[in-house]
Amino acid sequence: MGVPDTQQTRQPLIELQGLAKTYEAGGTLIYALRPTELTVRHGAFLTVMGPSGSGKSTLLNLFGLLMRPTSGVYRLEGRPVSGLNDNDTSTVRCRMIGMVFQSFNLLSHLTIQENVCVPMQYAGLPRAKMHLRAQALLDQLGLAGRYGSRPTQLSGGQCQRVAIARALANDPPVILADEPTGNLDEKTGQEVLEIFQELHRAGKTIIMVTHNPIYRKYATQSVTIHDGRMKES
Amino acid sequence: MNSVEMAVTVYASLTRHLIRSLLATLGIVLGIAAVVAMLAIGEGGRLEALRQIESQGVDNIILRSVKPAEGNVQQTSRSYTQRYGITQADFDHIRNVFENVRLLVPVMDTRRDIYQGQQTTDIEAVATIPEFLEATRCRLVDRRSRFLKPSDGKVLDPVCVVGVKAARRLFGHQDPIGGTVVVGNISFRVIGLMESPGGGRLAGQYDLNNVVCMPLDTARSLWGGITFRMGRGVAEQVDYDFLYVAAKDIDAIPGSAGRLRSYLKSVHPQVDYEVQVPYELLQSARKTQRIFTIVMTSIAAISLLVGGIGIMNIMLANIFERTREIGVRRALGARKRDILWQFLAESVLLTSIGGALGSGLGIATASIAETVSRMGGESGLKAVVTSESLIVALVVSVITGITFGTYPAWKAAQLDPLTALRHE
Repeated sequence: MGVPDTQQTRQPLIELQGLAKTYEAGGTLIYALRPTELTVRHGAFLTVMGPSGSGKSTLLNLFGLLMRPTSGVYRLEGRPVSGLNDNDTSTVRCRMIGMVFQSFNLLSHLTIQENVCVPMQYAGLPRAKMHLRAQALLDQLGLAGRYGSRPTQLSGGQCQRVAIARALANDPPVILADEPTGNLDEKTGQEVLEIFQELHRAGKTIIMVTHNPIYRKYATQSVTIHDGRMKES
Repeated sequence: MNSVEMAVTVYASLTRHLIRSLLATLGIVLGIAAVVAMLAIGEGGRLEALRQIESQGVDNIILRSVKPAEGNVQQTSRSYTQRYGITQADFDHIRNVFENVRLLVPVMDTRRDIYQGQQTTDIEAVATIPEFLEATRCRLVDRRSRFLKPSDGKVLDPVCVVGVKAARRLFGHQDPIGGTVVVGNISFRVIGLMESPGGGRLAGQYDLNNVVCMPLDTARSLWGGITFRMGRGVAEQVDYDFLYVAAKDIDAIPGSAGRLRSYLKSVHPQVDYEVQVPYELLQSARKTQRIFTIVMTSIAAISLLVGGIGIMNIMLANIFERTREIGVRRALGARKRDILWQFLAESVLLTSIGGALGSGLGIATASIAETVSRMGGESGLKAVVTSESLIVALVVSVITGITFGTYPAWKAAQLDPLTALRHE
């Protein structure tokens, strides 16, 4: 008898054990994130919700290794990654994590194809292979034939597609998205969300910070943060 | 990131603000241009110095009589004639004892004025032997010319050979061959015209193109050993004013010159002579070149300091402006060293472009300086651009890029990814 493929039986991708982030202000210890326990399994679609300043972004930055936790352990595919040195942290960021930002963060002096190539450059892929993969990803996201365009020549929705293509460049197991529809109108936002749904269906783990409670219905797992305290809902 | 990707990334960054990038290199362009131009002019000057030394004849050792200071005059009770300089005994000794001698050419300064009409000129009249032409690297001009020959001094027909510059002065556009030159109060018939192709000087003193040569025997028979009165009953006598010793073996010159100096020191109670060894001058000129290079490098360092600071300034401004880009790159997987290399490569590329443009400008400046300096007269600066100087320029510009690009690049690499990403 085979093991049923449900969220509960899949391998954990991300495990947080007592992960916390504090900082000092005027002699007072402030918790940006209180000690948190969380497991995100392969193929999950996790939404992180909460009011502004609640600690959502802190959590996402900890996931993305852009911030070091003050205490606790962060395991990615079973490997503790929160204490790695800068080189190894960069390598994990490059190969294991894809990031999508609210404000796209595309490099305006590069073409969209070159933008998609950036993570692959740091992964050391050969130039020809890199270009082919970038073009395939852009095709997949509905930007075929626009390879030579600059980000300034594209609409917000198109820019976010480029950013998603860039996040997928090194085929990482997890995509972190920080309010990816926050800068888009409702219709475009919906289109972008559909892309994330498709990626999820294709097996990618998605962790998305959002303000929009409607998006919760697409999630397989959802957490809410209030004053640095995380609650699974 | 591999080097090809790095080159593409750096190129894309620099061409983003092309004018600003070019302006940033301006200091380097001017610094390198100054270095290349100075090296070219310096090299020209050095080659000119070497040419002049070589025009004296590298195989020559030249002795020159030097009148000792008045206080050192040793007046003998026997005579009121002050004798100094190279003597006949020295001549005989060198001819009989020294082995490394191919030619021995004595030259006497007649100390007689040469007249052009009623006026004296600055043309020097010297008396010598037929081998003079070979020893001084002079050549005859005009097919009818001939130099002095041994029999010229033995007949009562005073003849002379005139340097081309002296001939122009004395004869203007008239034909000098067969003309008459008045030396003292004696008329000499011109039998030849000679020229020193290198513009050489007789023992570093007289312009060889501005002398009149007569046979030694003629001068002796006319003026009796070149003794002349100084007034108040004191006379002085110099046997030979100059003595060209042409060596058989050039490599043995330092030894021969040493023995010659020892000999002269032993027989001359006071230093009434000077030993010129073009070969030694040539050696020391080569040593001077090393010093010259060091001085030029120092000047280059100073002039490039300013350019380098300009580059550092621009790179720091660049990094501030591109903080968010650095954050994005770090978030996408760039390591600190990737950022460091990217910005270091940018500054090295900037200074290298500056170096290349500066080399071009330097070559142009040197050639303009050469042209301008030659406008007034026949001789002037000479600029020689060597491949070494261009290599020096390129290496210096790369080093400047590394030196002044390291700190901004290091600063960029140290940026916290999250802080950089939030930079507006």
